[in-house]
Amino acid sequence: MAMSEAAAKVDKLDVLEPVPVLVGRPGDREINDQLFQPVWTQTRRTWLALFAICVSLAGLLFLAIAYTVATGIGVWGNNVPVGWAFDIINFVWWIGIGHAGTLISAILLLFQQKWRTSINRFAEAMTLFAVMQALIFPALHTGRPWFDFWLFPYPSTLALWPNFKSPLMWDVFAVNTYFLVSLLFWYVGLLPDLAALRDTSKSRTARIAYGIFALGWRGSARLWRHYRIAYLLLAGISTPLVLSVHTIVSFDFAVSVLPGWHTTIFPPYFVAGAIFSGFAMVLTLVIPARKAFGFENVITGKHLENMAKVMLATGMMVSYGYLMEHFHAWYGGNRFEFDTFFKTRMFGPYAPVYWTMIACNVITPHIFWWKKARTSLWVLWIASILVNVGMWTERFIIIVTSLHRDYLPSSWAQYTPTWVDWSIYAGTIGMFGTLFLLFLRFVPSVSASEVKELRRELEHEAHAPAAGHG
Amino acid sequence: MKLPILGQAPQAAEGDRLPWRSIAGREDRRGHPSEFPAGAAEAPEGFSRRGFLQILGASVALAGLEACKPPRDTIHPYVRNPEKAVAPGAALHYATAVGWGTAAVGLLVTVHEGRPTKVEGNPDHPASLGGSGAFEQALLLDLYDPRRLRGFVRKGQPLSQRAALRALAQLAESHRDDGGKHLRFLTGESGSPLLADLRRRIEGRYPGARFHVYESLSADEAREGTRAAFGRPMEARLRLDRARVVLALDDDFLSFGAERLRLARELAASRTPGPGMSRLYAAEAHLSATGSLADHRFRMRPSQVLAFARAVARRLAEKHGMGALAAAGQAFPEREREASAVADDLARAGAAALVTAGSRQPAAVHALAAAINAALGAAGKTVEYRPAADEPSGPASLRALAAAIGAGQVDTLVITARNPVYGAPADMDLDALLARVPNVVYLASRPDETTGRASFLVAASHAFESWGDARAADGTVSLCQPLIEPLFESLSEPELLGSFVDAGDRGGHFLVQELWRARGPAGAPFEQSWQRWLAKGVVEGTAVAPEAPAVRAGEVAALLRAGTPGREGLEASFVPDPTLVDGRFAENAWMQELPDPITKMTWDNAALVSAATARRLGLENGRRVELRLRGRKVEAPIWIAPGHADDAVTLPLGYGRTVAGPTGTNVGFDAGRLRGSDAFWLDGGLALAPVGKRKHAFACTQEHFSMEGRDLAPSFTLAGLAQGQHELEKLRGPVASLQAPVDADSPIRWGMAIDLNKCTGCSACTIACQAENNIPVVGKEQVARSREMHWIRVDRYFEGPVEDPQVVTQPVACVHCEKAPCEYVCPVNATVHSDEGLNEMIYNRCVGTRYCSNNCPYKVRRFNFFEYQKPKAPTEKMLMNPDVTVRHRGVMEKCTYCVQRIELHRVAARVAGRELRDGEIQTACQQACPAQAIQFGNLADGKSAISAWHADPRRYDLLHEVGTKPRTAYLARVRNPNPELA
Repeated sequence: MAMSEAAAKVDKLDVLEPVPVLVGRPGDREINDQLFQPVWTQTRRTWLALFAICVSLAGLLFLAIAYTVATGIGVWGNNVPVGWAFDIINFVWWIGIGHAGTLISAILLLFQQKWRTSINRFAEAMTLFAVMQALIFPALHTGRPWFDFWLFPYPSTLALWPNFKSPLMWDVFAVNTYFLVSLLFWYVGLLPDLAALRDTSKSRTARIAYGIFALGWRGSARLWRHYRIAYLLLAGISTPLVLSVHTIVSFDFAVSVLPGWHTTIFPPYFVAGAIFSGFAMVLTLVIPARKAFGFENVITGKHLENMAKVMLATGMMVSYGYLMEHFHAWYGGNRFEFDTFFKTRMFGPYAPVYWTMIACNVITPHIFWWKKARTSLWVLWIASILVNVGMWTERFIIIVTSLHRDYLPSSWAQYTPTWVDWSIYAGTIGMFGTLFLLFLRFVPSVSASEVKELRRELEHEAHAPAAGHG
Repeated sequence: MKLPILGQAPQAAEGDRLPWRSIAGREDRRGHPSEFPAGAAEAPEGFSRRGFLQILGASVALAGLEACKPPRDTIHPYVRNPEKAVAPGAALHYATAVGWGTAAVGLLVTVHEGRPTKVEGNPDHPASLGGSGAFEQALLLDLYDPRRLRGFVRKGQPLSQRAALRALAQLAESHRDDGGKHLRFLTGESGSPLLADLRRRIEGRYPGARFHVYESLSADEAREGTRAAFGRPMEARLRLDRARVVLALDDDFLSFGAERLRLARELAASRTPGPGMSRLYAAEAHLSATGSLADHRFRMRPSQVLAFARAVARRLAEKHGMGALAAAGQAFPEREREASAVADDLARAGAAALVTAGSRQPAAVHALAAAINAALGAAGKTVEYRPAADEPSGPASLRALAAAIGAGQVDTLVITARNPVYGAPADMDLDALLARVPNVVYLASRPDETTGRASFLVAASHAFESWGDARAADGTVSLCQPLIEPLFESLSEPELLGSFVDAGDRGGHFLVQELWRARGPAGAPFEQSWQRWLAKGVVEGTAVAPEAPAVRAGEVAALLRAGTPGREGLEASFVPDPTLVDGRFAENAWMQELPDPITKMTWDNAALVSAATARRLGLENGRRVELRLRGRKVEAPIWIAPGHADDAVTLPLGYGRTVAGPTGTNVGFDAGRLRGSDAFWLDGGLALAPVGKRKHAFACTQEHFSMEGRDLAPSFTLAGLAQGQHELEKLRGPVASLQAPVDADSPIRWGMAIDLNKCTGCSACTIACQAENNIPVVGKEQVARSREMHWIRVDRYFEGPVEDPQVVTQPVACVHCEKAPCEYVCPVNATVHSDEGLNEMIYNRCVGTRYCSNNCPYKVRRFNFFEYQKPKAPTEKMLMNPDVTVRHRGVMEKCTYCVQRIELHRVAARVAGRELRDGEIQTACQQACPAQAIQFGNLADGKSAISAWHADPRRYDLLHEVGTKPRTAYLARVRNPNPELA
């Protein structure tokens, strides 16, 4: 079987050799067989078990949402002064996770980075599902969610536009645009593979289903040409979104007057943080999936190592952000800022969360200076989870610790999440997992058409070795 | 169609000869045909769909109106009287009065379409002067409590009002034969001439009957102290308007009593920074509101207060030649320096000095205070003495009753005292005693600990439902007029007592008119005077002239020599709770949720100890302990109170009620269960033993008491105020901005100012705001989650050492920033700026993102996390102010500067074709504030009071550097310390 051969090849690789982006030169049929195999084989027991867990969590999510809507936001731990807590923490966290997908599929495409090919669909699906989770929170966190549509500018009987000065309005546009573009980008990229699935399917139902979603893809040169243009355009549209979405999300905080929020460094620091956490999430997901489906030859050590390098770089950018926040708090001479950064965060009631954040986000990525760490699956996987935890705590620090002790000590108070808070958070993870498992099961998680293309490019390079780098 | 009009109810032909309240007449009037529009009673024949819907809609709309009946007797509105007596939407204001012990506070009650909706102070009443306190405000909630008793129950049998009155009359009659030897009454303290008259009549008819008076906050010690000093009990009425140096000996005169509103006003006025600024000394164990305002507070065990007073007396005698005090003086080495400085200061002030003793202190302290005041020449100047009732109202009184019951001499006991089973000392066991009395008639407003022992339960009318009269501390009489027909079948105290002199069925109106017809000034036609008294709320010329009794130095010295019982070990000291008092407000959710002015605790009480004592006993905050005192025990949580005396424990009364409905039952612990009849207020030998490991969960509205070095409520000494100017300069003035001021050209720019030098922290503003603005109560769990809804809160900061901190209180509501951070972040334009500078909140536009609250530096916005305004009992709906929207869940709310009042006056001014006048509009907090610490008005009017306040040298802006340009300015606190104690 192609799969085991590829795995055997990977095992034989010398650690010191540069790792290729594609092991071996499989033919088109081999690629199809290997990459479509998870779709055509019987549902596996591990998949079922995981799916059951995720669906249960997703069920919990819907129960918790129903409970919240029926009873009130009071079932969460939010209070005055901590008006936002798990709701916005999780929103920012999920949005941030989404970013890596867009970065991989759009920016790296524009930069013609070959190593993006076999992980881009993976990353895009992650983006899409993460943004879907993120969207739950702003919609649900309002006191009267049934009036959320008032945030959209539509000619209403209230004869009133929304307040375009509010960063929350900008959020509405930024996040919805992001979701739509990500969906289109992912779906357009999926078309050739859907067509291939239709063509290779053995059952009639599958053929009809995939046929509908393939939108009549025939693989003609004209279609490919249009496809290319559309894909490139979407990549072009997505690219600024990588920067803009999290910039605007950061405005929710930066535009306020709250010490700990009111800072100009937030936009770049949020974008760096988003990419940091996004890559961590890709690693968290791809390492087990690649193992489970035997995709080691297409998602090679090269991919993982590159992602580790990106994490190292963005991790240091995030650390720089932390450093500058503290520097400005001290250098600015503003008592409230100083207290927030040097007293409340470091030694306040939520100090353990702060130090967890420092340990996970500032210290952990430095392990990737070592190649051994970058190539060790376990180190990569654990580090990626630590970074995910760290980025969640970062949002907790920014939102909850800034809010719980602001200007007037008389209004200082503690925030404690309730079981509903935790249920919704766990529920979104379950929902994300559910969607992701469905994606792995029914759609090729590695783009077969792009891998085929990559193989041809690599062959072409092999014939003309001076022509470039890869 | 003619509806009955408030204030114009049909007058009986011969005035009051035919009292409306005769049972038959009352029944007859129920169905008075003119009460309903013509044709309302009979359904039209064959009505159309449209007609059917009209009637359906009208019946739904009117269903709730059944209960809002204006009283049928003529009552007279105060001052503003619209042309039509009931104009929908227009409020009427009626004067009445409520008693507090022997004195009363005059009130003006706002009535909307026959429903009392708001309580204010009566400016013409000497105890109110226009201010009102939290307690007076909160009475309104009691009125509409759905848990109030309805009707009459005798031995389990419900009776109609008629039957109940008949039964009472029969009961009364049965005691005629033996001259009432087996008839006893247990009443509360009252200054009502009507009640006194009824008592006289009862005693005349039943020579053997006895009255006992009981108050769990009895002032017996003061009575005994003044008896020793003057030969007969006198009531001391403080005149802080004349006092320059005040020494309060464990006297929290700002927190309790009918006089607290006037005293707050006078004290605040006397503290205007300048050469004449008064100085307040307080000697006390636990930090009280009065102590928190003191320029010097001497922290000492309650038992040491006497020693301190004697040290002051000694210095006055030795250094200042007040020989009359020589025998009373005694050295107190630990406190010599302070006592000498205080004595010197008092002597300097002479007749403008004042020494006042708290009612918890033993008689000796009261006698000594009287002697010192006399020696200083202050008696008659800063303190007026008037004769007090010469009968005990404390444990001695109950003891006499207990003895009579024990001897089987009591067949019928009529209880009108407030819940005596709960309030009686623990060693009395009134519960068991009452079980031995065959007939216990109990007049109660709600089921409580005592109702279970009553064989004849009589529902009590609320103070706002009954006729009566009351006296202020200076003797001025007020008439109490009902503002609403009793919501439930009930009797008032005069009506109950009246039934023992064959006047029960005549009604309170008749009784009180009969009395004042006889007593009123001769000459003037009674009807005219009566109407004037009712309208004004006071009967002119009824004040009693103060007396100038001579102090009997020998008796005072003898009392001091007799000494007070030694207080060994840990001292227990019982205090009335600042919110629940003696438990009378335990079922009042407003008061339960009102934070204690010092601890900021809601829905709870705790055993207060000092940090050092807690350390010595190995206790931390919230640890539960078992308190043991003379074999009695109770479990309580510990609260470490800054400024508390060491080796003493303060136990607030009024909590731990066992029968107090869902609001009051088992909230806190009942300190009264430790209280003995021989050591009613103070006792020694308290033992503490920790119980369990779990900490008690308190719900406090403020968890941080330090200002963290921030300039939030700066305070200065009188001498340092000039130098403080440049510090204040940094906290005010223009802030650089690219934007034009929003309302620079507007002819009206609303603004507020709060004088922290006047604020006593009493929280009357909080409750007044709650009543005015339909603010919900959220409960202990929600407060613990920091979700209380008060629009105006009183922040309290401690400065200095935890043993002896200085206190600043700071009321904070929305400050209506000119550059409001909340406004630009709202995505749906639900909070916007008016062109008069109001930061407006549009509830129906709010989706509840809470971004505005996050971005509010003052954190004054309140969010409806749940549907706090739950579906209400019909009576509770009547409480709502119809001018203010009721907010639902998911909506942000906050202070509006009482925009409904602004609009009301704007409309009135426009209709009258005039400009708004300065001072015409008062916000609810401003109107209530007894100390007049809040000012509101038009900043664009340079001559307005608010403009002057904003130009005050003490003015500063809270969080000025954030650049929000708040419209509420603060005036800094100024202290006047004695340089000798610096």
